[in-house]
Amino acid sequence: MFSLRGCGLCVAASLSKKHLPLARFIGDSAAPVATNFDVVVIGGGHAGTEAAAAAARCGSRTLLLTHRVDTIGQMSCNPSFGGIGKGHLMREVDALDGLCSRICDQSGVHYKVLNRRKGPAVWGLRAQIDRKLYKQNMQKEILNTPLLTVQEGAVEDLILTEPEPEHTGKCRVSGVVLADGSTVHAESVVLTTGTFLRGVIVIGLETHPAGRLGDQPSVGLAQTLEKLGFVVGRLKTGTPPRIAKESVNFSILNKQTPDNPSIPFSFINETVWIKPEDQLPCYLTHTNPRVDEIVLENLHLNSHIKETTRGPRYCPSIESKVLRFPNRIHQVWLEPEGMDSDLIYPQGLSVTLPAELQEKMITCIKGLEKAKMIQPGYGVQYDYLDPRQITPSLETHLVQRLFFAGQINGTTGYEEAAAQGVIAGINASLRVKRKPPFVVSRTEGYIGVLIDDLTTLGTNEPYRMFTSRAEFRLSLRPDNADSRLTFRGYKEVGCVSQQRYERAAWMKSSLEEGISVLKSIEFSSSKWKKLIPEASISIGKSLPLRALDVLKYEEVDMKLLAKAIPEPLKKYIKCRELAERLKIEATYESVLFYQQQQINEVQQDEALQLPKDLDYLTLRDVSLSYEVREKLHFSRPETIGAASRIPGVTPAAIINLLRFVKTTRQRQMAMNALPKTDQSLCDTESLEERQL
Amino acid sequence: MWRVLWTLVARAARGPRRSCTRQGSGAPAPGSGATIFALSSGQGRCGIAVIRTSGPSSGHALRSLTAPRDLPPARSACLRLLTHPHSGEPLDHALVLWFPGPQSFTGEDCAEFHVHGGPAVVSGVLQALGSVPGLRPAEAGEFTRRAFAHGKLSLTEVEGLADLIHAETEAQRRQALRQLDGELGHLCHGWAKTLTKALAHVEAYIDFGEDDNLEEGVLEQADSQVRELELALSAHLRDARRGQRLRSGAHVVVAGPPNAGKSSLVNLLSRKPVSIVSPEPGTTRDVLETPVDLAGFPALLSDTAGLREGVGPVEQEGVRRARESCNFLDTVVIPPGAGSPSENSRRLLLVLNKSDLLPRGGPDPRPDLPPHLLLSCLTGEGLNGLLEALRKELAEVCGDPSTGPPLLTRARHQHHLQGCLDALGHYKQTKDLALAAEALRLARGHLGRITGGGGTEEVLDIIFRDFCVGK
Repeated sequence: MFSLRGCGLCVAASLSKKHLPLARFIGDSAAPVATNFDVVVIGGGHAGTEAAAAAARCGSRTLLLTHRVDTIGQMSCNPSFGGIGKGHLMREVDALDGLCSRICDQSGVHYKVLNRRKGPAVWGLRAQIDRKLYKQNMQKEILNTPLLTVQEGAVEDLILTEPEPEHTGKCRVSGVVLADGSTVHAESVVLTTGTFLRGVIVIGLETHPAGRLGDQPSVGLAQTLEKLGFVVGRLKTGTPPRIAKESVNFSILNKQTPDNPSIPFSFINETVWIKPEDQLPCYLTHTNPRVDEIVLENLHLNSHIKETTRGPRYCPSIESKVLRFPNRIHQVWLEPEGMDSDLIYPQGLSVTLPAELQEKMITCIKGLEKAKMIQPGYGVQYDYLDPRQITPSLETHLVQRLFFAGQINGTTGYEEAAAQGVIAGINASLRVKRKPPFVVSRTEGYIGVLIDDLTTLGTNEPYRMFTSRAEFRLSLRPDNADSRLTFRGYKEVGCVSQQRYERAAWMKSSLEEGISVLKSIEFSSSKWKKLIPEASISIGKSLPLRALDVLKYEEVDMKLLAKAIPEPLKKYIKCRELAERLKIEATYESVLFYQQQQINEVQQDEALQLPKDLDYLTLRDVSLSYEVREKLHFSRPETIGAASRIPGVTPAAIINLLRFVKTTRQRQMAMNALPKTDQSLCDTESLEERQL
Repeated sequence: MWRVLWTLVARAARGPRRSCTRQGSGAPAPGSGATIFALSSGQGRCGIAVIRTSGPSSGHALRSLTAPRDLPPARSACLRLLTHPHSGEPLDHALVLWFPGPQSFTGEDCAEFHVHGGPAVVSGVLQALGSVPGLRPAEAGEFTRRAFAHGKLSLTEVEGLADLIHAETEAQRRQALRQLDGELGHLCHGWAKTLTKALAHVEAYIDFGEDDNLEEGVLEQADSQVRELELALSAHLRDARRGQRLRSGAHVVVAGPPNAGKSSLVNLLSRKPVSIVSPEPGTTRDVLETPVDLAGFPALLSDTAGLREGVGPVEQEGVRRARESCNFLDTVVIPPGAGSPSENSRRLLLVLNKSDLLPRGGPDPRPDLPPHLLLSCLTGEGLNGLLEALRKELAEVCGDPSTGPPLLTRARHQHHLQGCLDALGHYKQTKDLALAAEALRLARGHLGRITGGGGTEEVLDIIFRDFCVGK
């Protein structure tokens, strides 16, 4: 039933690293194996692979459970990774030594940085990815990860036991029950089931229960979660049809070529696996009024569009584009699915019409007149769990040691899933080791923005990352993700390799040194003008200009500066990345100073922790309106900062909370309570120490 | 016959409130610094007002206003001449105190300015502080939160603070509402709307410009909107500096049926002939406002057209305005026959005029009415009782020790409008679109302190409404 296609090679390759306990694969018929693990990850998608690998990197014996091993690393929707905002997430995942960026550097067929002319803070690293290569490389990586075991199986239920008294939550997960009745015991469980919770596929008026075309959904698990009291919602998403490559007339379409040179996703890669000239192009075509007609004439045959399940405010499908923005033409990108793939992915044509109408619609588009549809587009409806039921470490409030990551939390996109996967995997492992959780603040990264938005505000549409969601966008850039997260990952968690840590440390010290050198070089504006005639420096400014100020000019880069002042600057242009990052730091220097102050203010509020076990609904001695209590009860913010971001929680309520925390602390001190491991107590402790 | 007047003192409880959610997301803390300032003593006619700053730039602020003097010795009061750091204009002789952190109220560097308590002086000093780089007006409860963050508040100090903060936000909201009705309000909301839209379009261009097809000219449109906004703002600020007449104090509206004696009452309370009085019903046709001192409180007294139906268009408009002014003002007078001006439960003073027409010492003419006062504008009988009743009501409206008079609210508005204008200037200068958007975010954050709104969700709503984007 399971094929080793694509895996045999990887397993063989894994044998070379004999000094480490290697990842193993357990087939259905395998002999009994250890069924005790530190961390069990359910699901082998983008969240699951990252979670499993992260937990293993942290040193936990980890089991990855998946329906089918050959679908590990499957890109079930678009054949691309990254983009604006999403590329930021990938850089952060990489900074924590996650997988997807490195795999993309080995599997891309068209690398392009979006927003090149709009400022480095919003550059969007993106690549078309070869699905097959990605899957292969991901499986190779997963099957070669020390401490990580992979097993096929459908999870039907969770094993629950008494809760740990020092933590909140009504029970604790201690393992999982598989469909065949066997059990696996685990200290922590990460659930990354994607769209598989009561997943339903919709094509036209037909619906089939399935998580992904060809895979069965997880119904038992959904029931278990509902029985436990999790609030479940329903979302929908969709995917476009696939088209036979040889049936497309590319010659009449706009061609988009990849960047030269290609910019890698990963900090540890200087370059990608493939030369720009060997990469594949993308093509652009557009819809036309005929497409609108077909959509509008056949709305009655389209149950996905008719139903009321919340879709996003943005336009995910061609139907919603036509309905919301009639009489316009819409872009359709024709993207390659891989080096030797016969398929084309028409990005922008996500559709749930009956299959024959899809083909009819496709063939009225320019360049697709003779297109052959290989697989119809379809809609997916699935359960998600209100993400306000999880903490910023992605552990559930209800069940101790149970973590959720990915689409189950209401997000959409590979990158969003991967970002949560890393955090869930790290925290599942930390929880086993009884270490404090690893939380990324929204002042530190897009990962923090994503998780903070989800856990404090919830979502009622598939949550997708945009740079406009990040208030500290100028500080949270793709170029500096390593300096924001790699050191924390290395020191606090141990999920970062020595090699990566050393590289990040070298980069950090080189940048600091470079900036101070650039600040120390000062000349009059007229002298600068002579040194760098290309720069539009206005002469007559009385104050001397620092080299750093000159570097701010759009037309000046480190190369130009180093040409004018070889000593001491020439050593900074030897590394492309270093030179580019110095330029970026200069560009944003003045604004970053002020942004840092704002960040400090937010961080001060985030340092004020709220006890996790507060029952806001019955809390006495604190004056809070019922509305505020309900909101706090549902979201359970961990810090004053998070509480203040919940809509409707007033400044007065915040002060009341502060007062309450303080009162509680004093009472506990008076009772001379035993020291506890609870994080919130530790933190208020240190707060107390600061008091004079 | 006698006529009935109702006086109603209300707290307008609706209006824009600074959203405390997603602080910074789309609406980052305005200005730049982490140093905050606020009037920390009570409002109104007090001998001394205390203005406090907290944060790393406190020392700089103190030196800027007392230049060229050095910082006074820590924790001892010194007399200094305060001057505006830019214009050099003298503001006041004041006692200043310097509290270097951590031995201060908040644990940060703090400065205190004990100035003479008039609103003009206080607002002058606040404006001067606002012009120091790195300083911004404190948000509700911000001093407290900083003190808490630095472990500076003992439990007894925190007791009751929440109530104070609550009152502070309520008061600010009410003040903002009052300040924002009328022309300035329309202006600010209009600007905020334009700016949010421009911001949303720039954000859309950043997040979706490459993958989705936005219409042509999205950026150009935003550019021209920003340019228009800049012109409007700078014109307004130039105008405001010349000194707009302030609508200061609580609003007291006298309303009632025609010929009840509303204008007579207004003239009596303001001790001057504000309104023309005649025995003819419908003499007053518009809302007439006059600033008065009512029982020691500053108030804006409005005379209105008598509320009645079936009159000419001019008077009908007067009636409409009268009703409208009842919606957001603090005090209203209307007759029982015309119905309540608002469904909201408001405390109200019911006044029956022309008591001189009643037989002396006779029984209460209308025992069926709610508690009421008898008054004769002709003889002045009952005036003391009315003033005492008004004083009580006004004390509730204005007596909040943390409420700033409108002059201070206006200083705050001006600070944020100026901040908005400065930020828009940065939008023009920069070619880096991320920096440009940051300037708009900052500008919107400043306006958000006046009008509220402008957060990420609002921006995303506009993006998805105006553009067809998505995968």
